[in-house]
Amino acid sequence: MNAEVGDHIPEWTLERVTAERMRTVAAIFRDPNPVHWDREFSERVGLAGHLVNQSPVNLGYVVNMLLAWAGPTSLRRLRVEFPAPVLDGDRVTAGGVVKSIRSEAGRRLAECEVWLDRQDGQRAVQGIAVLVLPEGG
Amino acid sequence: MAASEERMRALIGHAFPGGHYRIEPWENFLLTEATGADRLPDGIAHPIHLFHVPIAGVGVSIGDLFELAEAPSDASVTIDYYDWEFFEPLHELQPYAMRGGVREHERTPHAGGTVVDSLTYCIEVLAESEQVVARTTFRWHFWRFAE
Repeated sequence: MNAEVGDHIPEWTLERVTAERMRTVAAIFRDPNPVHWDREFSERVGLAGHLVNQSPVNLGYVVNMLLAWAGPTSLRRLRVEFPAPVLDGDRVTAGGVVKSIRSEAGRRLAECEVWLDRQDGQRAVQGIAVLVLPEGG
Repeated sequence: MAASEERMRALIGHAFPGGHYRIEPWENFLLTEATGADRLPDGIAHPIHLFHVPIAGVGVSIGDLFELAEAPSDASVTIDYYDWEFFEPLHELQPYAMRGGVREHERTPHAGGTVVDSLTYCIEVLAESEQVVARTTFRWHFWRFAE
């Protein structure tokens, strides 16, 4: 890989966010919030029975894109916000662009703008990632 | 709207009990699969573990954090940001120690008497050598709607 400022990171897409995966994550996180697993609760709070994907999982999709691009040990920092929720049934695509490259302790670090978009164009995650580029990257 | 600003402000500097956590292979498998990814090589834990491992490892739960902030309901909590720093990758079966607490508080008034208490938490993940291998800083909003 020969990364340069302005390069777009290859997109990463999940075709369908599922309620089953949300329940698995809720159990592992010990997350008591019913918006992730109880459709009746979702109805009562005005979400029309949709389950809300856990925000760290939305961030996980961005991580998958980054690791597929720069390698499994490349991630150094992620700072993100969550402007819109991801719901069960959504299709999501992670994207990113290299904003700067610097040298530090003999390594090349890339700072990238990253995001996750829903199928309707709503941005669900936006922020900055810092990665160590592989040798020759 | 039960929580007083004074009580929320007093949470600044609150330290969590601290403790340890070991990421089990089954946990890494299930959580990685839940992101739609394949397992990472060499026992590397998916970075998504930097959400729940520090919270559990420092001796609290998500529910405890809701309770500490006197969240009126589960649906009243929203996320502002996460800032995850990795000084080295997390691995399965490694004994990690955690330390951290509440770092900041801010109360913001909104229309109609609604207020939002925003709490910033910071937790460090340490290897057996006591070297910090990762750090999470995150801010949650607790919405208190006027009755």
